[in-house]
Amino acid sequence: MKKRKNQSKAGTLPIYLILGFTSLFSLFPFYWMFVMATQPSAAYNSIPPTLLPGGKLVENFQKVLDTIPFFQAMWNTVLLCTVVTVAVLLISSLAGFAFAKFQFPGKNFLFILILLTMVIPPQLGLIPQYYLISQLGWLDTLMGAGILFLLNPLGIFLMRQYISESVPDELMEAAKLDGCSNFRIYWSIVIPIIKPAFATLGIIVFTLVWGEFLWQFTVLRDPSSYTLQVALASLNNAFRVDFGMLLSGVFWATVPLIIIFLIFNKWFISSITEGSVK
Amino acid sequence: MKGKKKFLSVLLLSTALVLAACNGGGDESSGDGKVKLNFWTFGATNYDSLAEEYMKENPDVEINVKTSELGDHHNSLFTSISAGTGAPDLAMIEVDQLDRYREAQERFVNLYDLGADEVKGDYLDWKWNMAESTDGDFLFGLPTDIGPKAMYYNVDVFEEANLPTEPEKVKEMISSPDQFADAAKTVLDETGKPMVDSMEMAYRANMDALEKSYFNEKDELIIGKEGNEVKDAYDYAVSLYEKGYVGNYEMWTPEWATALNKGDFAVEMAPAWLKGYMTENAPEGKGNWRVSTLPSEFAGNWGGSYVAIPAETEHSEEAYKFAKWLVSPENQLKSFEESGLFPSAPSVYEMDEFVNNEDEYFGGQNTAATFAEAAKEIPAVYKGPKYVTVNDEVLTALRNVQEGADPEKEWKDAVKRIEGLVKR
Amino acid sequence: MEDVQKQAKARKTIKTSKLSEKKKDMISGYLYVAPFFIVFGIIGLYPALFSIVLAFQEWNGLGEMEFVGLSNFAVVLQDPLFWKSLYNTVIIGLMGTAPQLIVGIVLAYFLNLAVIRFTNFFRVTIFMPYITSMVAVALVFGVFFSSNETALANYVIGLFGVDPVSWKTSEWGAKIAIALMVFWRWVGYNTIIYLAGLQSISKDLYEAATIDGANKLEQFIYITIPLLKPFIILTVFMSTVGALQLFAEPTVFLGSSAFSRDEAMTVVMYLYRDAFNLGSFGTASATAVLLLIIIIGAAAINTWLTSGIGSKKKRGV
Repeated sequence: MKKRKNQSKAGTLPIYLILGFTSLFSLFPFYWMFVMATQPSAAYNSIPPTLLPGGKLVENFQKVLDTIPFFQAMWNTVLLCTVVTVAVLLISSLAGFAFAKFQFPGKNFLFILILLTMVIPPQLGLIPQYYLISQLGWLDTLMGAGILFLLNPLGIFLMRQYISESVPDELMEAAKLDGCSNFRIYWSIVIPIIKPAFATLGIIVFTLVWGEFLWQFTVLRDPSSYTLQVALASLNNAFRVDFGMLLSGVFWATVPLIIIFLIFNKWFISSITEGSVK
Repeated sequence: MKGKKKFLSVLLLSTALVLAACNGGGDESSGDGKVKLNFWTFGATNYDSLAEEYMKENPDVEINVKTSELGDHHNSLFTSISAGTGAPDLAMIEVDQLDRYREAQERFVNLYDLGADEVKGDYLDWKWNMAESTDGDFLFGLPTDIGPKAMYYNVDVFEEANLPTEPEKVKEMISSPDQFADAAKTVLDETGKPMVDSMEMAYRANMDALEKSYFNEKDELIIGKEGNEVKDAYDYAVSLYEKGYVGNYEMWTPEWATALNKGDFAVEMAPAWLKGYMTENAPEGKGNWRVSTLPSEFAGNWGGSYVAIPAETEHSEEAYKFAKWLVSPENQLKSFEESGLFPSAPSVYEMDEFVNNEDEYFGGQNTAATFAEAAKEIPAVYKGPKYVTVNDEVLTALRNVQEGADPEKEWKDAVKRIEGLVKR
Repeated sequence: MEDVQKQAKARKTIKTSKLSEKKKDMISGYLYVAPFFIVFGIIGLYPALFSIVLAFQEWNGLGEMEFVGLSNFAVVLQDPLFWKSLYNTVIIGLMGTAPQLIVGIVLAYFLNLAVIRFTNFFRVTIFMPYITSMVAVALVFGVFFSSNETALANYVIGLFGVDPVSWKTSEWGAKIAIALMVFWRWVGYNTIIYLAGLQSISKDLYEAATIDGANKLEQFIYITIPLLKPFIILTVFMSTVGALQLFAEPTVFLGSSAFSRDEAMTVVMYLYRDAFNLGSFGTASATAVLLLIIIIGAAAINTWLTSGIGSKKKRGV
């Protein structure tokens, strides 16, 4: 036993090194963002670049609060992201379940049709999509801002893969023999098994919606309905940018997302340790 | 059966969420008799505080000011005008973007119909003309600010080159493109520094002053034609480069900002709004820069906008009333003081606060007066809807020249590319 | 007699319930995919059709549309800039996307190992780039890769004796910088997808293999990869599409000169320029249709290639 332990410890050192280096590499821009959030604007352009935090953390953030409805926007964003994420999880898992476990005519055709949803670049689809949302009266609403994100083929693909690999057919057979309806199977059996996929897809969608700008900017006109990225955009004035203020806003807009990621992460881990129905 | 019930309840829940989402929006009509106006702006203006002031004096009007970045603002505006829905009641349109909408005149309210004639005399002629249709019957927007170009020069560099440093003397010394080139030579010989920061600026020196550059008023491409002045502007920039007067600092890059700070080039030809940037982002340059007027051949405008009223609005009269108030001379003075928006109403130039304005960053000089002088010499300019992309092609050519390409070949290539682009 | 009758009845019941079960499955199938397609019907169908129709028209966004048949396609296909942008897109895609998938699998594998501690910390940090706002990313990479000699990127390559590069304006400099940005931003994303995939592999398989005497590397090759294959196919597919549709990273990196230079113009940037800068929505839509065809082709090829992984290895298992 002792031998094994030592061996595995020695073997893990290079792994830690790689992971550590990757972390540094990943964190650096975020760290720099924090540095800029604490410096006056001119520090952005300094050559050589400034690498240590300054003292303007509160001051810069105060400027942000004075200029945009930061907390209101944050609330709007949290609401939007939550609703969209829940909706996507439901829609994707339902459809993924169907594609994975049921046979029905036209199934493959429909699956390929989903691919088509990915194909129009958002920049081009903007005008007709905007027109549509406007006609439906959904400008400045959560529905208008969120509906586009429900078209997430990644969700369906991911769910389908995960379900077909981790939900054994025998389990479904057994449940059916017990008299479960398909929906019951979905609700009580499939969902608990795919929790890690839920956590993964959930954080991806949440982050996606949190960080998206173009569509939200187009649809949300009233400052009281702004989400964070839209509100932050008004800090960016081409000719008179206050970089300290801008990056402070961006920094604080990112922090809640990190917290949310940690929550999803915990969910991911706990659902793994719970083990599957096996 | 249980399964179906559960499915139904999930469906109901989602419908409830959807309904909640639908109602989470703003009200369109004002139930309390107020007139609601949406005003879209870009950049750094004081229009939101002015709007608040207006609302206090006019309690039956509610104004929603939305500010965004230049590009996003115009794309959003274009999107809503194109889709024919969701446009604001008032929108700022930057002068370079105005020509895009000329073809769609009917999507805007003709301000002459609302009585704009009466305030025409309050504003600079050339500025007003640029917002009119070619036949003069239609007015797109009321002028907000302008961007009269002047010459920012670095005092230390001029001193080192044994050139005069007082604004008046500098103006005398550099009163023509040739004299400008002479001064550039002196600067290079005595200090080793370039006169101008980039090829773009050297080119713009002449370009911004041209009444018709790439297109004529019928949107026909005239750049390839004999005697087109764009080629002259191009050649001038190339000649400055070949003599070593042009630096390699692209505007808005950190290198450029540092060069501003340290005074690595002598002159920047830019309008008043650069001041705001310099104060914020080039603090070490404080006191080292002054402003002088440019030779009249270089007198041009860069930037500035208008307030337009999209035809979709249901409150055109209220909107016009607000717009008129917003850009009235008194308020233009306020905008100048609070946000550096340079007034387009000449009466402001006579006002006390303007005349006594002192700029600490510029060693106490009254830069405002210099810009005001420059403002009077500017011609009305027609740019055309594809201006920006065509301009980019010429800039690409200039950049290639700076990297060693043959100027004539680059020019011909650029013209060819432009001709292809315009056909789309 | 009664027994036989009972048996016959039972068989009948089983048969009938099996039939209606198939039907039930079919109904469930359609019902469960319906929500997605309802959303598509509302918000996806109209823009897609609109764009396809637009590809055959000439339209500046504000005026009337004019039918021009295939001439938009001709214009685009004959434009050297279109081909340059396609070339750029493919190169940046290969440089930025391919490594990201390989590194992602490796990282996910490491994070999944039972012996590794602090997995939470690493998970967070590796995912951070995806969370960091594009504004910040653009600013950071913009400064890191600025053309100055003292720019960090130039400093680093200087250590290897390489001359400073003008990153934003050089042919390869721009591509490398953007590819690095893409890699940085998306490697964590792919890692957590692979992590989810790794979770779906039962630990029993590994235990059985260890008992059989297989070492870690063999287990990785013969168990992990084949079972991860569907997820690999998934990420390859998504990355292919994403790489071909690249727009955000180059645009924010290059800033104001994004649409004037051709070193790093991608296909979507090309069509964006057509639509919003040149007022030519017809050619922009034609480009989008061409891109669609290319994406379908590339995705099909990539998916076929990746399905080849693991089938050879199956013999080993």
